[in-house]
Amino acid sequence: MKILYSWLKDFIELDLTPEELAQKLTDLGIEVASIETTGADFEGVFVAQITQIENHPDSDHLHLVTLDLGDGKTQRVVCGAPNIAVGQKVPLARVGARLGKNVLKPAVIRGVKSEGMICSSDELGLTNTRARGILVLDENIPLGTDVSSLYGKADTLFELEITSNRPDLLSHWGVARELGALLNKPVKLPAIKDIPGKGKALDIDIQNPQACTRYIGRVIRGVKNAESPEWLKMRLSAMGLNPKNALIDITNYVMFELGHPMHAFDLRLVEGGKIIVRNAQPDEKFTILDGRQLTLNENCLLIADAKKATALAGIMGGLNSGIQEDTTDIFVEAAHFDAPTINKTVKKFGVSSDSSQRFERGTDVEGAMLAMRRASDLFVQICGGVASEINDVYPTPYKNPAVTFTPAEINRILGTQISEERLKEIFSRLALEFNANGERWMFVAPTHRRDLNHKWDLAEEAARFAGYDQIPVNPSRAYVAFVDAPKGIELGRQFAQDLIGLGFCECKNIDFVGEKELKAFGQNPQFCIKIKNALAQGWDYLRPVLLPALLKNVESNLRFGNRNLALFETTKTFQSIKGFPVENYSVAGVLCGTLEQEKFFGAPEKPVDFYFLKGMMSALLGHVEGVSFAPAKAAPCYMHPKICMDIMLNGKSIGQFGKLHPLTLKAFDIKTADVWAFEFTTKQIEKSFSAQDFKPAKNVAVFPPSLRDLSVVVDKTITYAQIASALDKTPLDVDLSYHLIDKYEGEHLPAGKKSVTFSLAFFNKERTLKDKETDTAFNRIVEQLKAAVGAELR
Amino acid sequence: MTISEFKTACQTIEQEYKTKIAHADNLSVVEELRIAALGRKGALTELLKGLKDFSIEDKKTAGPLGNALKTALSAALDEKTETLAAKQINDELNRTEIDLTLPGYPVAKGHRHPLAVAQDRMTDILARLGFEWAEGPWVEDEKHNFDLLNIPLHHPARDAQDTFFVDSTMPLVLRTHTSNVQSRYMEKHKPPLRIMAPGRVFRNDSLDATHSPVFHQIEGLYVDKNVSMADLKSDLTAFMKGLFGNKAEIRFRPSFFPFTEPSVEVDVKCVFCQGKGCNVCKGSGWIEMLGAGVVHPNVLRNCGINPEEFSGYAFGMGVERLAMMMLNIKDIRTFYENDLRILKQF
Repeated sequence: MKILYSWLKDFIELDLTPEELAQKLTDLGIEVASIETTGADFEGVFVAQITQIENHPDSDHLHLVTLDLGDGKTQRVVCGAPNIAVGQKVPLARVGARLGKNVLKPAVIRGVKSEGMICSSDELGLTNTRARGILVLDENIPLGTDVSSLYGKADTLFELEITSNRPDLLSHWGVARELGALLNKPVKLPAIKDIPGKGKALDIDIQNPQACTRYIGRVIRGVKNAESPEWLKMRLSAMGLNPKNALIDITNYVMFELGHPMHAFDLRLVEGGKIIVRNAQPDEKFTILDGRQLTLNENCLLIADAKKATALAGIMGGLNSGIQEDTTDIFVEAAHFDAPTINKTVKKFGVSSDSSQRFERGTDVEGAMLAMRRASDLFVQICGGVASEINDVYPTPYKNPAVTFTPAEINRILGTQISEERLKEIFSRLALEFNANGERWMFVAPTHRRDLNHKWDLAEEAARFAGYDQIPVNPSRAYVAFVDAPKGIELGRQFAQDLIGLGFCECKNIDFVGEKELKAFGQNPQFCIKIKNALAQGWDYLRPVLLPALLKNVESNLRFGNRNLALFETTKTFQSIKGFPVENYSVAGVLCGTLEQEKFFGAPEKPVDFYFLKGMMSALLGHVEGVSFAPAKAAPCYMHPKICMDIMLNGKSIGQFGKLHPLTLKAFDIKTADVWAFEFTTKQIEKSFSAQDFKPAKNVAVFPPSLRDLSVVVDKTITYAQIASALDKTPLDVDLSYHLIDKYEGEHLPAGKKSVTFSLAFFNKERTLKDKETDTAFNRIVEQLKAAVGAELR
Repeated sequence: MTISEFKTACQTIEQEYKTKIAHADNLSVVEELRIAALGRKGALTELLKGLKDFSIEDKKTAGPLGNALKTALSAALDEKTETLAAKQINDELNRTEIDLTLPGYPVAKGHRHPLAVAQDRMTDILARLGFEWAEGPWVEDEKHNFDLLNIPLHHPARDAQDTFFVDSTMPLVLRTHTSNVQSRYMEKHKPPLRIMAPGRVFRNDSLDATHSPVFHQIEGLYVDKNVSMADLKSDLTAFMKGLFGNKAEIRFRPSFFPFTEPSVEVDVKCVFCQGKGCNVCKGSGWIEMLGAGVVHPNVLRNCGINPEEFSGYAFGMGVERLAMMMLNIKDIRTFYENDLRILKQF
């Protein structure tokens, strides 16, 4: 909402600077988006013509310029502008002229007296370009013209952000009224000369009194439609509107002034001498003023005559009944429409106007009559004509409900100690009716404040007008309960911490994916959540998996030369199951490049491989009760068919890790790298997770183990798992732990064979082992491996 | 040998060997001295052999004297051995040649996302102020995202939310704010309650330097008997002190949110210029931080809480906004590009 300072001053006396006024408005909760200075802030500057230019006797760049003032007189001034030429019409500030805050005095410049100044655009305060050179005016402007008349008076334009609960502030009158209450100053309406009515207006038939609570109409005959007067055009232009003609401009002017939208019809085009306010028929066609044809429904409210619809009520007039250049008789409307009714139509058809923006927030039903009186006066003043009587159909006058409360309740809501006197003063200024005689006070808001319905609303008014600095800062009175983070969030945080510990960087991605990504990851769009009004193609679904976004991160990072990547994200994934949205927390990550973050001088580069990934997964998930890894029976389509493992929780898959399929990488424009990835959901883990579960520490052996290395040769086809299983099953009298330290195929071994080497640690919890005991155990293992997997000692 | 001759001999040996030990400059010399003094045919050993010829009386004097000298010499030799051994090691170390200025090996270090850093910081402070964790669905029904929060269907306040709608037979939206946690939580829990709910929210806003269709908020809600605007101001002051230090100050400006009444915008005194006016606060000395207010009685009533018995406050703040300010990030898209060169800075 734009507010012109001078217009505001029509209603209230203000001597604040624009900045001071902006602060007052801010204090009231009216956000000032911008303050702009407009018009000419100077006096005593007139149009003059350059007749002669001479060099200054004592300067290279100054000139002595002689000007014709147009009244038979000439004047000589000193001027240094580079763009002067004989014949130019220029703004001449004469001695005594005011330029902003400065008054021009006669000067002596390098020995030559100068009785005036030829001004640049900056010097006149019209621009702030720092350009040198005088302002050259149009040659058709008569000499002696007051230059300020060419630019309008100096003024300040405020751009205000009005919150949707305060439609009463969408006008100059409304803002003035609010300031009046704050500054305790009287506000006065413009002097309205009531136009006496002659003859009847049109009949008005409100068929839906719930949607149209009041309709005021009046006919004015014999008007002369023409260009609006300067002052009116200037104010409308400041509001950002192009002035059209007086009849249309006046309706807009009244709206910006008083906040009530109006509409004027060309009476020639209103058929049957009657106005009907009705709902549209199903599929009724109607063409609005901007040329769009709408197919309406029963929720739309129309203004119609006896034969046809003439306006989309409260939103826009019809193409068939608008004011023309040659209109002579008009029908003027000032009505009150139900806010939700207007909002429904605005949203349904995407039609919005200054008028609808006010109606859908709620206009003042009493303000309609004020607007009609003001507009009538302006129509007759500016366009002449004879007005009819006013036809006011207002079956059920509106009154706000009374709010009763005690001053203590107001202070309790705010936590303040505002005195009863101060509260009385504030409420009596705001109220239509206010009674503070009893213990409970009674407040009735005026009709333009439908937002004051209960004591909480009044508490806000008290705080706004008393000042929010009345609210004290006390020691925090915390009520404390101990409740853990939801398990999904807590697990996500723990996995994030662990992954960061493992060298991964956390990513955050936008939650939308397109069909292309879904396809690449084998996701059926039917089971995904689709956005009805997606922002862009490719952002149509909520992501059911996290890896597509991480692959995009890989691609962009590779493009920027970040070659070695360990990235992860932990957040929600989304599915649609039988039409119901299902949200699960997931964890996903990608690895590519070398094990170290970059090539370095101390070691050869070693690319990430499957076992590195698997080691990461063991580190991440090894401590989670019930987790195991199993070769995927059927790898998902985006994974390498042979290099993929299921992450199992108590025998059920909760995700996978492995090498990404080259075709998947291709789909994401990743050309240069192998990418290793994992993704799992935490939903099943959450079930058995509790932040209070601490694993009891296990005792460790206090006696040193006996260490032996064991190298055996087996068939190549024997897997590690088979050997490990045989080791685990060997019956021993001592405790054993082991780990793989080497595996070898090739030279020095028979074809089809491989060698594996374990480091074995034998120990007893109670004592140090004797060599003999260790030997016995070692031999049993050798025998067991031979029997189970045909292993031979190497 | 007389007892006095014995004493003199001891003194001579002591002097001779202490001097020699002091001058020894390598371990083999020390070993030679040990043999010369204390070996089987060493000077002291030989002297002590003569003890057997003394009278019992004299033995009582000479015996301890000789043993003390033996212990003293042995200790002096041990000490010298230790000193020389240490010197030998240090001499060897001092011959080391290494370029200490070469870079360290690039050890992989993980990094938390800057938004997570900011959010963790805020939730940690709120947790210290006694706020419990709570969460709500991101795909939400219109009832919990709007209706229960006093945002009526045909009201411009609802239109202003730029809502993403889900293609569904049910009235589902992507939640436009974390305030849905208010309605979700109050339906199930009765006061006193004091919760925080960080999380993602969605607005149908094109991605540009200052807007993202996905961003993060933290919701706070406190409902109990007699909770007032003063409690809101007190707790938010404490929160801002946690975030910006003890000097932090806040101010309230009136505003409008459908689910609070009275509603305020909360500004914090600019932490970059201490309120003098700078680029970050655009000269105003204050930075807009969050929206808040007293929970609207309709919201309480909608969730089955009697507004005459209980009252509360609520606030919601943007994580991106704060993170951008604190980390001097000018473009919100930076958070969602996940460029390693940025991620590694946090």
